[in-house]
Amino acid sequence: MKKNNRITPEGTRDYLFEECLLRRKIEDTLSQVFVSHCYHEVVTPGFEFYDVYDPDFSGIPQEVMFKMTDRQGRLMVMRPDNTLSIARLTATRLQNQPRPIRLYYIQPIYRSHRRLSGRSNENVQMGVELLGAGGLRADLEAIALAVESLSGCVPGFRLELGHAGIFRTLAGCLPETGGVREDVREAVEAKNTALLGRLLAGRPDCPEIRALRELPRLFGGEEVFEKASGLCAGKLRRTLDYLHGLYRALSGFGLGNRLIVDLGLVQRNDYYTGVVFSAYVEEYGDAVLLGGRYDNLLGHFGQAMPAVGFGISIDAVERTLSGGDGARAVSPADVLVFGEKGSEVRALERISKLAAQGLRCESSVFSTRAETLEYAGAAGISCVDVVAGEKVETIRFDTEEKP
Amino acid sequence: MRPLRIALTKGRLEEKAVALLEQIGCDCSAVRNKGRRLVLPVAHGRYEAVLAKAADVTTYVEYGACDLGVVGKDTILEHGGNFYEVLDLGFGKCRFALAGPKGRDFFGGYSARTVASKYPNVAANYFAGRAMDVRIIKIEGSVELAPLLGLSDAIVDIVETGTTLRENGLEIYDAICGVSARLIVNPASMKLRKAEIEDLAAEMERGVKRGNAAKELIT
Repeated sequence: MKKNNRITPEGTRDYLFEECLLRRKIEDTLSQVFVSHCYHEVVTPGFEFYDVYDPDFSGIPQEVMFKMTDRQGRLMVMRPDNTLSIARLTATRLQNQPRPIRLYYIQPIYRSHRRLSGRSNENVQMGVELLGAGGLRADLEAIALAVESLSGCVPGFRLELGHAGIFRTLAGCLPETGGVREDVREAVEAKNTALLGRLLAGRPDCPEIRALRELPRLFGGEEVFEKASGLCAGKLRRTLDYLHGLYRALSGFGLGNRLIVDLGLVQRNDYYTGVVFSAYVEEYGDAVLLGGRYDNLLGHFGQAMPAVGFGISIDAVERTLSGGDGARAVSPADVLVFGEKGSEVRALERISKLAAQGLRCESSVFSTRAETLEYAGAAGISCVDVVAGEKVETIRFDTEEKP
Repeated sequence: MRPLRIALTKGRLEEKAVALLEQIGCDCSAVRNKGRRLVLPVAHGRYEAVLAKAADVTTYVEYGACDLGVVGKDTILEHGGNFYEVLDLGFGKCRFALAGPKGRDFFGGYSARTVASKYPNVAANYFAGRAMDVRIIKIEGSVELAPLLGLSDAIVDIVETGTTLRENGLEIYDAICGVSARLIVNPASMKLRKAEIEDLAAEMERGVKRGNAAKELIT
């Protein structure tokens, strides 16, 4: 049988050296922002019971989840989503905690993508959840934090605002049966105005249907609110005004024309109930940040409370920062320390001393001075300390000659 | 910022798409005389055209390697993908149909059927929608051969005129859906370069409408 012991599964990869450094830097930058706003880190299990991510309320199709069973035959999945895990944690472990609760996480999610699609099945996400708080102030806090977080690592992004309540309200005028709502949702999601027109043809000419027809076109800058205002009444009017209020509050945030609105934002992965937002970067075909308000989710875990949050894809941020080119040099040690025979421990002491001064030191494991120098040349290390008893001899190379 | 990049499906759709672009005033001489080049300037460098196989057009657009694409609805239905489908271009019209040997009752009885298709996902979705369990066999070439050789009871395929079916003693059991060429757009591009993309799509839509009106005059 063919052994697969020299390759990683499709959709996974190793991260080496500079890649790890860059990722760590991104994670440090983001966690500093989160911590400075009093968000506290939590870690949830890498796999949990399938019921936590039940497609009925998570909207995560069961075919994208990696599944296994425990010893009692109960269905388990590799964590496909962070928000659901944190909702479960909050509703159970933090029942008696004063609210609001501010949490952040850095952990991978696992989703099985189409074969040969080049997508990662393992993605590290970093994000925050503000739980037990509804309303404008909480929404503003979350979105402003998203802006501040991204500004620290991917300048030039665009932030898009939408509202899950818009489609939900409008779809209320469509029959619940026969999959009509889902067909219409898909047409709106794909901005397929022709199909949407056909789906809505023959429906009574009410304001909701007229607004639905326009929905795929209602995206862009602040002018969208004006265009939409003629189409909205009642509850929808209030939703639109709320979103406009958010937009105005955020445009004073230095985002200028980088703030965009899409009233036709209807994701399939839909536990969102209120404002939804995402961030895009030039030359990257997908969102780098996704977030929104999910007021009904905690109820599924027995502790109803409003909540809002967002997640940032570390892979996406890394890709935009490194320009997609993975070939970057590994930086060599500052000093290579070699201990002559009998001075091995002294050499290690020397390393501790230099390291305390902030130098990056490597210990030579070779048995002769000549081998050590040869290795220093090959590895591009420009300084070798040879320790013999009390004496330390420092040999420097001209690094200019080396490639 | 780089010019908007459009992926065109090679072959018949390419011809029609280029004609449409020329109709709305975009110079396509580089595409017409492409030689071996793969990325071609359109409208004197305002856009860039890339020629690709149908399924690759959806892939390039999904990942944002191309901002827009012209591809058949058949490919979209079979391969799926995450992109906006903003315009029905009206050309490349044909339909998906279930067909098989003349005079047989495909839907009668309860024995499980075997169906051959170049479009296994379209076939699977169609039968799932009818709550029918069928065996689907993927065929790469002339699918009509499968029922003639007894490999399958029927085929799911694209039918334009139905001549090939008739000449081989096959008939349509059921029409599945119509297909035609579509303009697709990468979601991030749509957000980041809205004005440019909307302008081009609007021009193309006007071009399509003018073309349709002209056709009606002739017939």
